[in-house]
Amino acid sequence: MTIPYKPRVKRKFIGGYQPRIDGQEKAQGKPLYADDIITERNYPGLLYAKVLRCPYPRARIISMDTSKAEALKGVKAIVTYKDPNLKQMKPTNAGWTDAVDTVSYDGMMWGKFRDRNILGDYGTWAGDEVGVAIAAESELIAEQAIKLVEVEWEVLPHVMDPIAAMKPGAPVLHPHIAPQNILPFDPVGGPDCFFLKGDTDKGFGFADVVLEMDTIHDNPTQGSLDPWCCMVQWEGEQLTVVSNSYATDQTRMHMSQMLDLPLHNIRVVSQYVGGQFGRADTGDQPFFIFTALLAKKAGRPVKFKHTRRDSFHDTRQPALYHCKVGAMKDGTITSLYFSSIGEIGAHADHSVFALKFAPAEIAEVALAHIPNLKMESFAVYTNRIPGCMMRGVGNSQFNFIFGRIIDGLAEQLGMDPIELSIKNFGHEWGITPDPSLKAVLEMGAERIGWKAKRHTPGGGDLYEGTKRRGVGFSLHPAWHAEWQEVRRGQVQARITLLPDGTVTLDAPTVETGTGSNTCNVLGCAEALSFLGIEQKDITWVSTVDTNNGMRDCVQTDSAVSFLQSEVLVLAAKELKKKLIDLGASKLEVESDQLDIVNGQFVAPGKTISVKELLMKGDLVPISAMVSRKPDDSKTGVPYIASFAEVEVDTTTGRAQVLKLVIINDCGTVMYASGAEAQQIGGQVMAIGEAMTEELIYDPIRGVPLNFNLIDYKMPTILDMPGVEPVLLEIWKGAGEYGACGIGEGTLTCTPRAVANAVYNAIGARVDEIPLTPERILQALGRI
Amino acid sequence: MENSPTTSTNERLNIRINGEWREFEVGKDLQPWTTLSAFLREGLGYTGLKVSCDEGACGACTIIMDGKAVLSCMILAVEANGREILTIEGLPKDDPVIIAFAEQSEPGHGTALQCGYCTPGFVMTTRALLNENPNPTMDEIREALSGNLCRCGCYDAIAHAVTHAAEKIASLGGRS
Repeated sequence: MTIPYKPRVKRKFIGGYQPRIDGQEKAQGKPLYADDIITERNYPGLLYAKVLRCPYPRARIISMDTSKAEALKGVKAIVTYKDPNLKQMKPTNAGWTDAVDTVSYDGMMWGKFRDRNILGDYGTWAGDEVGVAIAAESELIAEQAIKLVEVEWEVLPHVMDPIAAMKPGAPVLHPHIAPQNILPFDPVGGPDCFFLKGDTDKGFGFADVVLEMDTIHDNPTQGSLDPWCCMVQWEGEQLTVVSNSYATDQTRMHMSQMLDLPLHNIRVVSQYVGGQFGRADTGDQPFFIFTALLAKKAGRPVKFKHTRRDSFHDTRQPALYHCKVGAMKDGTITSLYFSSIGEIGAHADHSVFALKFAPAEIAEVALAHIPNLKMESFAVYTNRIPGCMMRGVGNSQFNFIFGRIIDGLAEQLGMDPIELSIKNFGHEWGITPDPSLKAVLEMGAERIGWKAKRHTPGGGDLYEGTKRRGVGFSLHPAWHAEWQEVRRGQVQARITLLPDGTVTLDAPTVETGTGSNTCNVLGCAEALSFLGIEQKDITWVSTVDTNNGMRDCVQTDSAVSFLQSEVLVLAAKELKKKLIDLGASKLEVESDQLDIVNGQFVAPGKTISVKELLMKGDLVPISAMVSRKPDDSKTGVPYIASFAEVEVDTTTGRAQVLKLVIINDCGTVMYASGAEAQQIGGQVMAIGEAMTEELIYDPIRGVPLNFNLIDYKMPTILDMPGVEPVLLEIWKGAGEYGACGIGEGTLTCTPRAVANAVYNAIGARVDEIPLTPERILQALGRI
Repeated sequence: MENSPTTSTNERLNIRINGEWREFEVGKDLQPWTTLSAFLREGLGYTGLKVSCDEGACGACTIIMDGKAVLSCMILAVEANGREILTIEGLPKDDPVIIAFAEQSEPGHGTALQCGYCTPGFVMTTRALLNENPNPTMDEIREALSGNLCRCGCYDAIAHAVTHAAEKIASLGGRS
């Protein structure tokens, strides 16, 4: 059943159901992605780089002989760990920031966790970039050359499990940072116990019911179809980088600080990206640096591109969560305690963000009314693929335990979990019960058919002799509202009115598919309504180039769509003021006597179209560039929820999702078709995480077994259930639109909604996702 | 491939690409081991098709060869000798499939594309399906598109776009 959302304020452009602005060009295959641009046709003399990847989970290079590789025809440059400039290069981290802000080397968020050396001699996972990189005339030659490098390895003991890694005597990966593999205190993430309010033990003491539960969230990966690549070219001291990284300013800063180059000597260009999904934070990746060194040495442009195997590069942090909850008989939660062991893999990068920063944000909003609350986390190194950013960072892992404890507690209390949630969660700046939370859950219940379908665990009807059905849900606070984006600093946009009345719109952000480009054109048309402008009159500038002089607003926190549109409201006002000043002087009237309505200058007794006046003038475009810092008014956040209906075959253990209902309170829907595309689309990653996607290792040899798209099971069209998207406008944030990001949150609740539905179906809980048939049969006691 | 003319190194091969027969020299224009996807993209500049997995698992490199949707990363360029190839660049901009993918936006289904990287593969798979079966059922559509991955997750809207394209073709009297 399709029910379009009802806008709170009816606007001409914002909020509409309509095609994307890039729909036609993308349907024709016209946009050029980095891999399409970085070709020998465009860069004559282009070389191709390959890097040595550590074949062992933990090993050190004792010696290396590159003479055979040097002798191979077509090899043009080799850099190794023995080169003085690499030996002297400062240690780094591949996630300097979450890309919300631009940071320097000294200002990186996780400055205590600089555990990476560019092409160092020490590998800590089977896939680590170590020792040598080679540029050659073809990818094939570069690959052959890497194979010709003779390496003597010291193979070191490894550890593949975080619990084992925490034990005394375990192999220690980075002793200078974490002597027991557990990351120490850092100024951003805080100590192991990073959130404490009241006294949790006391809270458990007077509770009527106390319940403890555990969950394990495995590690899916982003799975962007567009393999990461870059091209670096030197022209004298001028460095140009073309890439499908989504943070051009940060890439420039990263290269400037690592290569000790002034910022103006570096130009970074990005445009279309074939899916980002949080891939490795800001992209402060060692490959940018060794590609630059190879290009310098060869005196030719060099391309580095991940193979599909290389694209398995970082993941969501697997997390083991423990939760203890205490509540009174009436459902009032008196105390909550969360403890997690987060597996960060071989490098710390940005993992503490997921394990501490994100849960602390949730505590600030959703858990504001819980009087006694304690959260602790232990971030642990293992010799597996590094954890990093991924759509829904930290929130997905947290939601997996959060949704479960609500379901479990409600069962113990004999309450409906919807009622329990509305009773306890909200945010301290709003009223209780939280109107957004209430609306989201009640709408979800209605659309999934909660009252009719929800039954006691395992107590429903039997279908086809062996199948049972159930429903479940999970909720989460949305992120991010404007006040949570203050760290971003100034958001910039420029509207340029051309003499014929058409417009170019510079709202720099790398187009990753989120739909913010369409939001911006809608926002621009809305803000320029005084010009009587239509969408077709506006050209959105799709290339982000640091030489443009404007800061890019990075596609993170799902917030770009409204942050830039809020700036456009101000830019349009400034443009109108400039036009009125110009019109007043031309028409010889006072500025306060002149207005612009529907594209016409209107003064007492005079009227002329803006276009006509401009075309009679000097034909100089009129620009308004505005910077705006996000409004820090504490408005709280809206809520999101997923409701699922599943069918489980109790003989095979196969669970199938029959239907999903995804509810997002958006504040304001900026672009309805795009928002629904995010709601429906996010379920592909969510169903993958819930049902099939996991990275599998050989536990003995410590090497990955399924780093390819055949054995790593991303959902196809046949794997997807029907998804019903529901957009609401209940909460409102700061600014003209007062919207909130939704893209990441669309997938956060789904795995837990599915897992709760499976419990409702079969009456046995599965602790770990993905919910494989094996785990379901184990839960049922059948194997 | 039983009907394809045989070829050997240093021979010439002829491929009809988007309606035009073109002649290439093995060893000069391409190597015996060059995949069709690499040759079309890097050799000839048809960058609409994408190489994402390079192992036949994602469908991003789908083109139409002799009327069938094929994975160009799994075919050697020399195997295309004597064949007729259609890439997305060979479709008119008002092709009903392209229009349907571009315009899909009705309430409840989202858009048929987001980042756009997989889109050319889906468009070509759809084009081949509708050439063969102009009025497919939803099950037939899902089956036909099951070899193409969309990580942005636009499957539902894509399936609807295919039905809209089929309706458009029918309204044109099956002429497109």
